[in-house]
Amino acid sequence: MNKPLLFSLFLVCLLQWSCTDQCTETRKYKRFSPVTVSLAEIRQGVRTETSRDLINPGKIYTKGNYLFINEMKEGLHIVDNTNPSAPKMISFIKIPGNGDMAVRGNILYADSYSDLVAFDISNPLDVKEISREKEVFPSGMFDGVSWFLNTTTGAINDQKVDIVTETRKVSCENANNSWWGGGIWFDRAAFSSAAAPSNGSSGQGQAGSMARFALYDKYLYTVGQNEMLLFDISTPSKPARSTKISIGWGIETIFPYRDKLFIGSTTGMFIYDNSNPEKPERLSTFQHAMSCDPVVVTDNRAYVTLRSGTTCNRGLNQLDVIDITDLRSPRLLKSYPMQNPHGLGVDYPNLYLCEGTHGLKSLNVANDFDVKQIQHLTGMDAYDVIPLANKTLMMVGKDGLYQFDISNPSNLRQLSKIPVKRLDI
Amino acid sequence: MPTIFKFLWVGFILAHSIDSLRAQAPTFKPHYVNITEVGGLFGRVVYDIAGSVPATQQVENRLSLTIQTFNGIQLKPRLALGVSCGVDWYQSALLAPVAAGVRYDLARSKKNVTLLGLFDAGYSSNWLHVDATDYKTQGGMMLNPGLGLKFGFKSGSALVLSLSYKRQNAKVTKPLNWGEIEKWEDRVYNRMALRLGMMF
Repeated sequence: MNKPLLFSLFLVCLLQWSCTDQCTETRKYKRFSPVTVSLAEIRQGVRTETSRDLINPGKIYTKGNYLFINEMKEGLHIVDNTNPSAPKMISFIKIPGNGDMAVRGNILYADSYSDLVAFDISNPLDVKEISREKEVFPSGMFDGVSWFLNTTTGAINDQKVDIVTETRKVSCENANNSWWGGGIWFDRAAFSSAAAPSNGSSGQGQAGSMARFALYDKYLYTVGQNEMLLFDISTPSKPARSTKISIGWGIETIFPYRDKLFIGSTTGMFIYDNSNPEKPERLSTFQHAMSCDPVVVTDNRAYVTLRSGTTCNRGLNQLDVIDITDLRSPRLLKSYPMQNPHGLGVDYPNLYLCEGTHGLKSLNVANDFDVKQIQHLTGMDAYDVIPLANKTLMMVGKDGLYQFDISNPSNLRQLSKIPVKRLDI
Repeated sequence: MPTIFKFLWVGFILAHSIDSLRAQAPTFKPHYVNITEVGGLFGRVVYDIAGSVPATQQVENRLSLTIQTFNGIQLKPRLALGVSCGVDWYQSALLAPVAAGVRYDLARSKKNVTLLGLFDAGYSSNWLHVDATDYKTQGGMMLNPGLGLKFGFKSGSALVLSLSYKRQNAKVTKPLNWGEIEKWEDRVYNRMALRLGMMF
């Protein structure tokens, strides 16, 4: 053997002493930083602007041919939905700190952090603020981030969420080392809806059941983290603060059905009798495992979904069918396993269930003990649905607002999609 | 009957002697070749300690078991081409590389010791790997160049001792903690592979 070859062999050995595994972990996470916004700034920020793209859509609300899509914390998109196959974005109402809305007649009620604002929407291109109830909501939550009103400074203490990407060298092992930093994070609340809640008064819109606002008779009901606040709207343009009822903890949604109020919390469902609209009375509480739980009601059945998630961590992913014939003692009939259910909507005998990243499911619930899946649409993100009386299903997800023709529940036909122009997530 | 046996026996001897005559001649016939080796993948890892202030790094040495078999054709007296399959037991990944391989005799000593050049390139699969809950491991590119020493036996088989550099990529998607949207790890295993095996 010649010497150069031996030398090269020796060199190869030598170089290899430096062999080092290179493992880098990359993670994207939400970073929270405190932000203070003065009330004056919030109150001056309201105006009508030209339509813009959906970026971070929240709750949806329909009224007549109009569709309102909340842009989390930013305001409301007004969409002309006369033709569900070709919805038109008309304008955008900038409302700082907006998350909920309700419409009766030509009056739109919306929250703006701590204030309740009434708007005249007779001309959607020029929406006017007509009255404001100041500092009625002491705190709230957006996308898992809570804010609160600081009355001494007259400002809102909020948090800004940034998506941060970080990389570090790791040991090439699966240890899920917890990182420093981070912060409090809550699972994004599920929103949910149901078909035409027949709540008496004409000329009002339709909300999802994840809504914190509900209209009934001469009152606007709003639920906070632990109480229900009523507004007298006998003069629609001038909502006046009325009774306050404390409910419990972790209140998520209010869903009016006939003369009852179904209030969803993280621990269960509260049923209130609303025959005296000024003083709703608690009838019963349906307790369940701690979880995120949108509720929809039709006739004598309530459908509740439980899903696993960071804050609702019981690992349960199921659909519960509850008998509410006797409102004083709701009974669980049967639970069905699901993948990751979020919002749901019922158009009896069909139930539409959002499975998050797993898509949308169309179920037949005619038989309580044998709920059948009749269609499963995948390849889309599904968070929330509203089945409308005209056999149109509205569905919102992280990737956009979809509308389906549901005249054949086993073969949903997509009519249109308003895409989300999201920068991240 | 015995005559027939005798005839066959003579035939066999003849055939064998002709064969051995041919073997001594420089004429070469391509044939199947197998090299099966067992060894270790030597290396280390340098990583940041999570949350350390000031940033501190930790160093750990790593040694993984590797098994590999090369199956191919000795195309020319010095060149063999084939496919390498193996299993590498990394700390938290069990990867099975499949690669195209070359073995080339660089030089031969009088004592029938050959210096061998080897090169394998391919993909490491996760077929044998089992993931922990919410972890998802994917394999990646694999490169393995190196040198070996082949100690030939009279029987034609040989003992092979090889030293090579092994680079292997993998990607692991990890479960999410609070506030996390996406988390993954890109792995590049850089190892020195020391293997001992047999060649047939």
